[in-house]
Amino acid sequence: MLNFRLILTIARRELLRVRSRFQGSARSMLLLVFLAAASLSYLAWQKGATVQMGVYRVGVSPNGPVLADGRFITTTLDPIAGFEQLRLGQQDLYVEADRVIARDDDRSQYALGAVKQYLAEQELIRLSENYAPEEAFPLRITVQENSVTAVVRDGLGSGASDAADAAAVDAGLANMGLSDFDLAGEDVFIPSLSEPPIPFAQVIIAFLYVMPIAFINIFFTSSFMQEKLDKRLSVLLSTPARPVEIILGKMLPYLTFSLISVVVMTLVLGGNVGAALLIFVPVILFMFAIYLMVPLFYRTFKDTTFISMLAVTIITAYLVFPAMFSGVNDFSYLSPLTLAVQMYQGEMFTLEQYLFATVPIVSIFSFALYIGTRVLNEEFLLGFRPLTRKLAQAVYLAMNQKRPFLSIFFLALCFVPIVYLIQLVLLAVSLNLPLQVALIAVLLASVLVEEVAKSVGIVVLYQRKAERPYRRIFTLALISAVGFLVAEKLLLYLSLSVVSEAALSTAIFSGGLLIVPLIAHFAFTSFVCVLNARWHVRYPVAILAAGVLHVTYNLFILGSAL
Amino acid sequence: MNFKPLLAIVKRELRSVTRERTIMIAIGIQLFIASFSSVILVGLLSFYDPNTIAQNSQARIQAGIVGDQESPLLGYLRAGNVRPIYFADPERADAALDQGLIDTVLYVPPENTAEIAHMQLFLPEAETQSTIVMMMLRKPLEQYENYLRRARGIEVRFTDLEGKPSTSYEFLYATIVPILMFFPGFVAGSMVADSVASELEHDTLETLWSAPISLAHIFGAKIVAAMVLALIQIALWLVLLHFNQIDVQNTVNVLFLAVVVAGLNAVAAAVITTFLKDRERAQFIYSLTIVLVAGGSALIGRSPITLLTQLATNDYYASGVDVALYGGLLLVVAAGYLLFSKRLLGTKI
Repeated sequence: MLNFRLILTIARRELLRVRSRFQGSARSMLLLVFLAAASLSYLAWQKGATVQMGVYRVGVSPNGPVLADGRFITTTLDPIAGFEQLRLGQQDLYVEADRVIARDDDRSQYALGAVKQYLAEQELIRLSENYAPEEAFPLRITVQENSVTAVVRDGLGSGASDAADAAAVDAGLANMGLSDFDLAGEDVFIPSLSEPPIPFAQVIIAFLYVMPIAFINIFFTSSFMQEKLDKRLSVLLSTPARPVEIILGKMLPYLTFSLISVVVMTLVLGGNVGAALLIFVPVILFMFAIYLMVPLFYRTFKDTTFISMLAVTIITAYLVFPAMFSGVNDFSYLSPLTLAVQMYQGEMFTLEQYLFATVPIVSIFSFALYIGTRVLNEEFLLGFRPLTRKLAQAVYLAMNQKRPFLSIFFLALCFVPIVYLIQLVLLAVSLNLPLQVALIAVLLASVLVEEVAKSVGIVVLYQRKAERPYRRIFTLALISAVGFLVAEKLLLYLSLSVVSEAALSTAIFSGGLLIVPLIAHFAFTSFVCVLNARWHVRYPVAILAAGVLHVTYNLFILGSAL
Repeated sequence: MNFKPLLAIVKRELRSVTRERTIMIAIGIQLFIASFSSVILVGLLSFYDPNTIAQNSQARIQAGIVGDQESPLLGYLRAGNVRPIYFADPERADAALDQGLIDTVLYVPPENTAEIAHMQLFLPEAETQSTIVMMMLRKPLEQYENYLRRARGIEVRFTDLEGKPSTSYEFLYATIVPILMFFPGFVAGSMVADSVASELEHDTLETLWSAPISLAHIFGAKIVAAMVLALIQIALWLVLLHFNQIDVQNTVNVLFLAVVVAGLNAVAAAVITTFLKDRERAQFIYSLTIVLVAGGSALIGRSPITLLTQLATNDYYASGVDVALYGGLLLVVAAGYLLFSKRLLGTKI
C-alpha cells in the first residue's frame, strides 16, 4: 500500500523547494511578468482582441464602408488615387461606396473573398438590428430525425417551436461575434447564420487549458533534475520512501496547481466545473506522464531541450490536433479537448465518447508511472549511455525477472496505447507524401512500430542471458502476441463504439480474423526474436525483415478483403 | 572581439548537439509539425472552408424535393451542382433515400410572404455523407434565403461579390507559416537557456573561462550556435513547404527575419538565464515571456508575425528594410547583453 503520510511529506518538501526558488529579485521578476500578462490580457479585452494580421491592403473611398477587422489594413483614398494604387499593386482592393473593385491576380481575389465574407456578416448584423427576426431571417430549416412520410404526411415534428427558432437566431448571431462559444446546437438552422466557425474555440480552449499545465510541468521536471544534480535524490532514495511515493509526492503539488488552473479557467469561461474536471484530470495526468520522461531519460541539459520539445509535440499531436476536427469527424474524440469544446457548446458527451478519449491516455499515465517507479534508481539515472541503450534498460527494469511470462504479457498490453499514439502521428506525417507512397510508407512504418513493441521485451530479456532455448523464445513470442492482440482489440472495440462504421466492425470481429492475426503476430515476433537472440542479427535489421514480411501479409489480407 | 575562439566554441556547441542525435529528434519534430500543417490544410480547411471544395471539386449530389415544385430554390440548387428530383409521394422519397438513390430530401413549403418558411431537411445516416450534403446545400439555401428577404421587401447588399475563399489563405499565411518559421526560434532560445544553465549549474564556466576566451565569447557562441541550428531548421521548413506546394514569397527575407527572431529569443533566454542562474526558473520565465511577447505583438502594427505574413504573401510595402530594422535591434540587444553579461552574472539572486 502507498504510504500517504510519506507522500504528503515529500509534497510539502517540494512546495518549500519551489517557494525558495522565487524569493528576492526572482520573485519581483516573476511578479513583473505576471503583471505584464495581466495588463496585456486587460488591453486585449479592452481592444476587443483585434489581432493585427494585416494580410490585405484595402483602399476605401470616403463614403465607403468601415472595415474594422485586423485582416485589413485600410487607407482612405479618393477614387483617382484608389484606382491608381490598385493598378500598381499598392492596394489589393478598392472599395468605392457599395462597389468593390479587384484585380485578377490571386492576392486581390483572396482579398475580395475576405471582404465579401466580412461585408456579408456586417449585412446580417444590420438586418438583425433593423428588422424583426421573422423578416430578417425568413427561412428556418429543421434537420429531421424522422422519415419524410412521418413528417410531411403525419405532421410529426414539422412545426418547429418558436422558442427553438429564436434560439437559433440568437445562437447564430452570437457565433459570428465569437463572443462566446455557444454554437447553434439546436436542430433548427438558418442558412445565412450557419457558417461553420473557424476552429477558434478549440484553439482557445487548448491554449488556455493546456498552456498553464505545460508551464507547471517545467517545475516538475526541473525538480528531479535539480535534485539529481545536488545529490539530494540519492539521499531521498536511501530513505524508506519507495520510488512510487517519491514520484507521487513530487507530482502532488503540481497536480494540485494544474487542477486549480483548470478550475479557475472554467470559472472564468463560465463552464461546468465538474465536467471540466472530469475532462481535464486525464489530460493533466497524461501531460505529467509525458513530462516525467524528461528527467528520467535526459543525460545532458541539451537533451532536455529536445526531449521537452518532443513532449510538447506529442501533446499537440494527441490533444490539440484531433480536437481541431470536433463537430466535423468522430475521429476528434481521440482528444478529451473535443469533449471540452462540446461542453462549451452546451452539449453533453456520452460515456463511450468519454472512455474513448480518456482510457488510452490514462493507461499511458499508469504505464509511465510504473516505468518511472522501476527506473528511479541511482544507477539508471546517473548512467550516461546512448539513448537507445537507456530505453532498452528501462524496458528491462520494467519487467519482473522472476516472472518473465507475466511481464512480457503486460508489457505487450501496455505498449498498445503508445503504439496507437505513434501510428496516429505517422498517419499525420504520411499525408505529406503522394497517396501511393503514403499508403505503403504508413503501412510499413506502423508495422515496424508494432514489431518493436511486441519483441523488444523478449530481446532485452535475452540480451543478458547466455542460454536462449528456442522453446522459451516461442512461448514468450506467443504470450507477447496474445497480450498485444487483446489490448489492440479492446482499443478497437472502444473506438468502434464511438466511430460507427458498420462494415468495418463486422469485418474486424468476424471470427476468422481473430485467429489469423494471432498466428501472424506470433510468427513475426518469434521471427524477430530468433533472428536477434539466436542468429545474432542486429535488432534493427531483424525488425526491418519482419516488417517487410508483415507488410506483405497485410497487403495480402487487404487485397483479399477488397 | 577576437573571432577565432568564438568560432571554436560555436563548433563545440554544435558538435555536442549533433553527437547525441538530439538533432534527429529536432528534425523529427520539424517533420511532424510540417505534416501537421498540411493535414490541417488538406483536411480541416476543406470542412471549415467548404467553398474550396465546392469550387475545386466536381462533386454532384441528388436532392429529393417534396412540396413546392415551383420554388426558385430548385434553380439555385441546379446552379450549385445539386440535381433536384421531385417526389410527389413522400414514401417514394423515403425509399429512395434509404436505397441511396438520392443523397438528401428537402421538404419545401409553399411560398407565403406573410410567415416564416419552415423547411425540413432529411439527411443520410452516414456522417461523412451528410457533411458533404450540408456543404453543397449551403450556398443555394443562402441564395434562397436572400430571395425570400427580397420578397419581403428587404434589400441585402454585397450579395454579388465573388472572390476566392480566403479562410485557408489567411490561416496558412497568418498562422501556419509564422508558426513554422518561428518555432525553431523558440527552440533556439530554449536551447540557449539549457546550455547556459548547464554551465552555471555544473560549475563548468570557470574552466572554460580561461585566458584567451572571454565570457562574451562563451555566451556569444551559444547564441550564434542556436541561431545556426535555427537557420538549418528554418531552411528545411521552407524546402518542406515548397514540396507541399505552399508558395512562400521573398524567401530570403523570410529566412532572415526568422533567424533574426531566433537570435532575439536566444538573447532573451541568455539574459534571463544569466540573471536567474538555473534552468528551472529560466525556462519558466523564458517561456512565459515569449508567449507574452508573441501575444502582445499581435496587438501592435508591424510585429514580426505580421511582417512575416506580409513578406510571405508579397505585400507591396514589406521589404528587406523592415527585416534589417529587426536585425539592427538584435545587434543592439546582443551587444548590450555581451557587454553586461559579467555584471549580470555577478548579481546574486
